Amino acid sequence: MTAPREVPARRAARLLRWYPAAWRARYGDEFAELLMAEFAEQPRSWRRAADIARGGLLARLTRAGLAGHQPSSPEQVRAGLATAACALAAFGALGVAMWAQLATGWAWAARADAGTTIAMAAMSAAVLLLAVLGLLAAVPLAWSAARGLARRSARRVLLGPALLAVAGAGVLAAGSHHFAGAWPGTGAHPWAQHGLVPAGAAAFGWAATLSVSAYWAHPAALAAFPGAEIAWMAVSPAALAAAVAGVAGLVRRLDLSAGILRYEAWLASSAAAAMAVFLSGACCWVLAEGSGPGLFHAGVIDAGSLAVMALALGLAHRATGLARKAAPGARPR
Amino acid sequence: MTAMAKGSTGDGAPGAGALGSFGRYAGPATLILSSLAGGAKHGYALTKDVEAFSGVRLAPGTLYEALSRLEGQGLIEALDSEDRRRPYRLTAAGATALRAHLDDQRRVADVGLRRLASNWGTS
Repeated sequence: MTAPREVPARRAARLLRWYPAAWRARYGDEFAELLMAEFAEQPRSWRRAADIARGGLLARLTRAGLAGHQPSSPEQVRAGLATAACALAAFGALGVAMWAQLATGWAWAARADAGTTIAMAAMSAAVLLLAVLGLLAAVPLAWSAARGLARRSARRVLLGPALLAVAGAGVLAAGSHHFAGAWPGTGAHPWAQHGLVPAGAAAFGWAATLSVSAYWAHPAALAAFPGAEIAWMAVSPAALAAAVAGVAGLVRRLDLSAGILRYEAWLASSAAAAMAVFLSGACCWVLAEGSGPGLFHAGVIDAGSLAVMALALGLAHRATGLARKAAPGARPR
Repeated sequence: MTAMAKGSTGDGAPGAGALGSFGRYAGPATLILSSLAGGAKHGYALTKDVEAFSGVRLAPGTLYEALSRLEGQGLIEALDSEDRRRPYRLTAAGATALRAHLDDQRRVADVGLRRLASNWGTS
């Protein structure tokens, strides 16, 4: 025979799954007790179920730094920064693939029309700015992580994400450097004949984002690739995901000062602005010459990339906006 | 229910005007703080008390969203758990915020009632 509390307890546990694990750890027991008291009074209610689902999704968005503004909350700043890093990584992978495709095409034949030239210049400037912002953001994080790892008390929680970040970034950098030699641009000179960007940078970007390819939809053509290249196309996204997960984990766990949090939130906000510039350039290219020849042709994968990049930009903008408002010592806006 | 005044007493006291940042949760937050002003309560007792004095039944998701925000801002605090139920009580900052907020609401209510009385009669 089933115990009287067992069935409602199971129902409460099911409903609690709407909420993130950290929320359940803090409020789970008392929330389940409340639900069981509510079940006894009113066994079924669609409104109650919808309210719990909405509350759980909101708690998940709050946990990701995308909702629930709280002034002077380091936790919300860290959550927002971690989410912005993930959004930027997704945006970067697709954006650099697109940019590298255009850079390759440009190396073969420079474009004369103003639209594509402006698009390429805007995208290149945004890539450069994002790289600089990434380096500026990494310095205090790496310093704080190194200091944290030196302390025995913090080492246990920081070691995992730190190793993940270093291993992921290391594999991505080494593999991209190795496969950049197969770049299909003209030669491997530092500045290609027609190039708007250094050939080395274009080749590295191309190799790092080799996995963003329409060849996945054409297995027969893909099978003609060298085995090592196919393996890299599978490994590189995993390496990027590991690096980003490690960085996000570090940001969430590091005990960063109020000044560093404000600095990182400002950099993230600037990165979101650079992402907007890049996306504008990419849209400009598609509108100006998307139906053009060869490597300047925008395919379904480019249209899909634009949609995902717009979504990533929206998430980054929301996360960084809330992070800046929640930063300790930030002026109310 | 959700539209709230900025709730500032102008005295700079901690917690004053804190409910202004609650958005659509300002209504539930006011009801919860008003309930806790009468003493510490756990979730179900809060729901029943709020229903008794306001006629509003707070759904569980809404109740706990407001509770976590209030706790995050230091307007309420959790007490040691009685079995699995955890009671909450009002903090000094919460009392200041509630007083400031209710004062603002009373000013609005006074103006509305005065104008109703002068233009629409007293019935």
